Amino acid sequence: MTILEAAAAPYLKPLPEVRPENKPFFDALQAHRFVVPRCDDCGDYNWVPYPACRSCLSENQTWTPVSGQATVYTYTVCHRGPGAFNADVPYVIALGELAEQPRPCLVLGNLVGTAPEDVRVGMPIEIAYQDIPGEDITMWRWVARQT
Amino acid sequence: MPFPKRQAAIVGVYTTKQGKLPDRTSFSLQLEAIRGALDDAGLTTADIDGLLPMSGTAHMPGTTAHQFWAEQLGERPLSLVEIGGASGQLAKAAASIAAGLTDVAVLFFGRAGARTGPGGTKAAADRAPRVADDWSFATAGGYMTSWYAMWAQRYMYEFNVTNADLAEVAVFTRYHATLNPDSVMGSRGEITVEDVLASRYVCEPLHLLDCSIDNDGGYAVVIASAERARDCRKKPVWILGGAEAYYTDFYATINDPWFPNQGKAVRKATDRAFGLAGISRDEIDVAGLYDCFTVTTIRDLEEMGFCKLGEGADYVKEGHLRLGGSMPTNTDGGLLSNSHCGDPSGMHTIEVVRQLRGECGARQVPDPRIGVSLQQGWAVHGLASTLVMAVD
Repeated sequence: MTILEAAAAPYLKPLPEVRPENKPFFDALQAHRFVVPRCDDCGDYNWVPYPACRSCLSENQTWTPVSGQATVYTYTVCHRGPGAFNADVPYVIALGELAEQPRPCLVLGNLVGTAPEDVRVGMPIEIAYQDIPGEDITMWRWVARQT
Repeated sequence: MPFPKRQAAIVGVYTTKQGKLPDRTSFSLQLEAIRGALDDAGLTTADIDGLLPMSGTAHMPGTTAHQFWAEQLGERPLSLVEIGGASGQLAKAAASIAAGLTDVAVLFFGRAGARTGPGGTKAAADRAPRVADDWSFATAGGYMTSWYAMWAQRYMYEFNVTNADLAEVAVFTRYHATLNPDSVMGSRGEITVEDVLASRYVCEPLHLLDCSIDNDGGYAVVIASAERARDCRKKPVWILGGAEAYYTDFYATINDPWFPNQGKAVRKATDRAFGLAGISRDEIDVAGLYDCFTVTTIRDLEEMGFCKLGEGADYVKEGHLRLGGSMPTNTDGGLLSNSHCGDPSGMHTIEVVRQLRGECGARQVPDPRIGVSLQQGWAVHGLASTLVMAVD
């Protein structure tokens, strides 16, 4: 598991709003676990979280820790950024396909710690955790998988 | 069964000036567009009995767009509202007209002073803003271009398509724009594949010239029953068929594969539209295909069934879409070189209507009879609709 240095202050990029229905997810992130709603009835993972399982419409879903292991399904190197992100260009956004199956879960996040020109489709990556200074929230990032 | 033949027709179209319009408001552009399209049809405000507002249609807060505009347009109760994307809204309006729900409806949009691109987002001053959509791409610095870039990246990976292949789309649409005196980019002249590749990256693999422009502008379309259409000023452009299909958000929740042989929303809408119209792909004389990015046009062609999966770039290179080709497409310059005014999903239909009427001057396709417009939006091919039109 990779725990990144806290982001530089002040952090002025958009952050998720924590509400009762997503609080278990952000609580788990602060404990350095990435949890995904898993259907108690059919076993499928569902990302992004929806009110019911997409496969069987069951509302019996449990926030379940996943390995954090993934591969790059696709990515982009951004050379222009909205708002505070423009100070970070070039930065990488990646969709990581979680190792957990059978329903593929594509998780969007910034891929950090790898030069943009070295990122590839299919590259092994994993979830990393980064505290946000002055904010009561931990964010997830993608990093190249440690082997 | 086709829609009952000649039950509905597009009778009026209008585009305001497109470009940087610092002296205009979204309201004034919308009003000008509505008045202009009614005048093109030879109708008046009192004839309007249905509204087809776009996702970004400006209205006063605290009400809906269609309720606000029903009051603005004369404080009369109106009979129809259809949302979605332009080709599908017009298809549903045609079906509603056929069914007797209304006789005349107007689709309209206008925007001034806003930007779709990343420059439209101001940096927070002293505190990180919170976004209510927990899984929003905003928290990762994503925006419209980054989604299409990720789509393009995966597509290029799976089908060995190159940046130069994508650039061919920007080249032919710019050529068309040079023949359209109203286009935003036409006066800058033609571009080459090398020009596209030399333009700066916005989000790799998309260069600046792979992206649509980002300007102010407005437009409107009036659709009417056959009975009303016969009394209108211009020759009717009949709706032969149309349909829409949609699914979720930007592929982030879509099980792979992203590029299945059977297609996704665009294929579903197009198959149904062509089935209703009772025509085949090779009968299309002129097309307007949504082209927010170069990759979008290539994928449109595959999804619509004009070519096979993975062959869209070759289809473009063979020259089918260029004026003089088998299916001239985006003859106004498209979103890449004519105008992208925020929610431009009606612009492709308007250009096809003008082509079918024979109003296109230097860029006129010789005697076209049947045309098609494809709208997509809200996601990467996530909300799609197809409209098949014809003239007598």
